[in-house]
Amino acid sequence: MNLPSRTSAQQRADDIWVFRQELARLETAGVLTLSEAQQQAVAAHHDGLLTGFTRSFDIDRDVRAKQLSWGMRIASFLGALALAASVFFLFYQFWGRFPETAQVAILIGASLGVFVTTVWIQGRDATGYFTKLAAMVAFVCFVLNVSMLGQIFNITPADKALLPWAAFALLLAYACDLRLLLAAGILCIIAFTAARAGTWSGMYWIHFGERPENFIPVSFALFFLPQVLRHRQRDDFPPIYRVFGLISLLLPVLILSNWGHGSYLPWEASVVEGFYQVCGFALSAAAIWLGLRRHWTETVNTGVTFFVIFLYTKFFDWWWQVMPKYLFFLILGLTAVLFLLVMKRLRQAGRQHEEAA
Amino acid sequence: MQAWSRKHTLITGVALILLTNAVALLGVAWNRSGDPESMLKLTQRELHQPNGDMSHDNSGMALKLAWRVAAADPESAINWSYAGAGGTPEWLDEAKMASLGFDLTETAHSKDIEGIERRRYRELSKEVLLVLELAGPAYEQFLESTRRYAVEAEAKIATNAESEAVMRQLKDLRERVTREDLENSRLFVVDAGLDMAVLRKNFPDRSRYAIVRGQVLPWSFGDNEKGKNKARGYIEGLSVDSINVPSDYRAGFEQEHRQPGITPSKSSPFEATVAFGQRLEPWIIDVSVAPK
Repeated sequence: MNLPSRTSAQQRADDIWVFRQELARLETAGVLTLSEAQQQAVAAHHDGLLTGFTRSFDIDRDVRAKQLSWGMRIASFLGALALAASVFFLFYQFWGRFPETAQVAILIGASLGVFVTTVWIQGRDATGYFTKLAAMVAFVCFVLNVSMLGQIFNITPADKALLPWAAFALLLAYACDLRLLLAAGILCIIAFTAARAGTWSGMYWIHFGERPENFIPVSFALFFLPQVLRHRQRDDFPPIYRVFGLISLLLPVLILSNWGHGSYLPWEASVVEGFYQVCGFALSAAAIWLGLRRHWTETVNTGVTFFVIFLYTKFFDWWWQVMPKYLFFLILGLTAVLFLLVMKRLRQAGRQHEEAA
Repeated sequence: MQAWSRKHTLITGVALILLTNAVALLGVAWNRSGDPESMLKLTQRELHQPNGDMSHDNSGMALKLAWRVAAADPESAINWSYAGAGGTPEWLDEAKMASLGFDLTETAHSKDIEGIERRRYRELSKEVLLVLELAGPAYEQFLESTRRYAVEAEAKIATNAESEAVMRQLKDLRERVTREDLENSRLFVVDAGLDMAVLRKNFPDRSRYAIVRGQVLPWSFGDNEKGKNKARGYIEGLSVDSINVPSDYRAGFEQEHRQPGITPSKSSPFEATVAFGQRLEPWIIDVSVAPK
């Protein structure tokens, strides 16, 4: 048995559960009946696997456990948010009463204390929910630590603060298997690289968001990073990289397709908008194609979402003013139907291709 | 290769936290090392207390640096030269902007309105060095032009009619002059540049002139078709315009801080010595608050 991650173990457990249900149906229908010895062998094999998974990863063994698991995940997330807010307001409530040295000691102490506690909890928490909760509070403490140092000592705001935040978020994400912090780390990287790109073009870093093209270089790096950096232990992380890569590519393209003035390109605003409209359709179609080809569901979904947004934006530009509203929405509805038909054809084609293979 | 363990996580995380804090604190220590780059004695006119918007959830306190820009014409000056609001001073002209790395030739002289508009959208601010002057010639000149404007405006209004509205206008004008004389900030941005040494050479008095970081944006107004366009720079803001009040100096401010709705002009008089360090970041080194 070589199961590298909790996700793979959970997937295998789900497969076993589905297999057992289907086997029961086949036996009821009289299609297939395993001998007593075979039944026992399969059951013993599966039970052994499930026991191993439960011991190693605390997976959900049945539907009820899965439902409870979702409840725990939501409680863990909300708890982390509430605890983070509590830490934030606790500090704000009292920090002004302490001298600078004490303020700094409290900030560093809180960051270190919560981080060490997170690692300690990780060693004792098989479910991972408490670890994740503590990890999110640790990240908030560190963000508060750095930003409050800036406030206490009147430090000039700089994009460099995003780097340690990103590093800390990624460390916690990989150590505690936490996708939310992976997203936070990726967002910090996106903001930092966009700010740097803006600074190289001469602008004050804080305005990096006003030039959407600043985000495009990092988008490709994020999208293709999982191809270079294999995630054998964290196979649910690559989709997060790809989704954020696509968002940081397609969202700027969407903005520029409607606001050409925000571009670095030395063309008329209308030409820039036209260029990015074409790019928007081409890139989202390419994302759908690549996603289908590589079986990357999240890439297909993100590509489809942006393709539809690009399409509807164009429809709005062309027809909102000139068409009666009922006709406009009818066309939108019919387009959705057409889109469903195209996707259905693509699915059928994919299935036939797999069968032929 | 050895697998990543919890021990590795612990060491990396602790090192990251300590290193980040060390870098930030060393920067602070460097900023405050040696003699300050400049040191200004600012009063309640230049440092504004929180204006009643401080929630009691935040026990910290910061004073806002009330920097100003002298508008070119007296009418704009008297009506629009608010503290911290930015502006387009006369001295930040095409040549000065060119020295800051902005090419305004096309904006100033071209008759291609669309091109100018396009350029205007695309220009974003840059960080430069700004010179702040405390109660110096810029303030004196501004005060003088405000007085002159008020006298001329009074003469114009008084000859027109003697209605209640005119009386109100006159009262308002006099109040503005009084405020400019006694209450408004005397801290004016008087120059900009990229070279610290050159600026300091031009403004050697470190107790009157502080050099800080701020943002400048290209600006144009007027009528290009008639060849009357003016291209200048717009001072957008200071990189650090809020100064934390250490707990040692807070006692005097506490009373004001707790009363919502206190305007800067009504706060107790105080004098704060603000130092600007090697990285041009400010900090308060002394405060004396006069009893109310």
